[in-house]
Amino acid sequence: MDTFKLLRVSASAMAAQRERMNVIASNMANVNTTRTEEGGPYKRRDVIFSTMPLEDNPGVLEGVQVEEVVKEDKPPRMVYDPGHPDADKDGFVAMPDINVIEEMVNMMTAFRAYESAVATFNTSKAMFMKTLELGKQ
Amino acid sequence: MDNGFRILERLLRFTGMRHGILASNIANADTPGYKRRDVRFETELDNELPLKATNIAHISGSNPSSMPVIVTEEGSEWLDKNNVELDSEVAEMTENALLYQAGINMLSTKIRMFRNALRR
Repeated sequence: MDTFKLLRVSASAMAAQRERMNVIASNMANVNTTRTEEGGPYKRRDVIFSTMPLEDNPGVLEGVQVEEVVKEDKPPRMVYDPGHPDADKDGFVAMPDINVIEEMVNMMTAFRAYESAVATFNTSKAMFMKTLELGKQ
Repeated sequence: MDNGFRILERLLRFTGMRHGILASNIANADTPGYKRRDVRFETELDNELPLKATNIAHISGSNPSSMPVIVTEEGSEWLDKNNVELDSEVAEMTENALLYQAGINMLSTKIRMFRNALRR
């Protein structure tokens, strides 16, 4: 087992959770966005994680990576707002179907996973430092 | 020279490896389909101990199959087919790290004892 690859396990987790956090932030920021480049209201995004083997042979260490960022294809939420420039002929506006509570829960989960990765990193570091002290008076 | 060194070396190797496995579990706490892994090393030491129950210093490293076994654990899963529980992984990692550090401390003490013996 490669000693320093151990730190890359935690680093990969931190990077992946940070990306997830960015996606969640985009979802929360665009909760009322009705216009996007591809047209129509903003579509909620989500990240899909996959394992990233960091060693080939015994396969002890497995990091994580963001496999893809997927757009959810849910129908928009129709809100009655006839004064809105994007309202259809019946006065309904297509809003992104984003549940802010759900996003907050996801954000907390991501944050806790990030925290755990930081704790792992610090523990690994403490173990290395301890090993370096081996045999000293 | 002293079997204690060999036992401590094994302890450090196993706990070091287990740390990597637990770190991987924590990293993959949100990976769909990931199953938590662990190393079985306590059982291996247990299997060896009864042979030399009379005196701890009698433990020999004669068992060559000292490679730890990586096991994939099944059990209750989340909806995404992942069965990692973040809190218990962090707790196990902390425990394992303390065991590792205890091993390092013991090894340091042993080295210091030999050093002292050589000095007289």
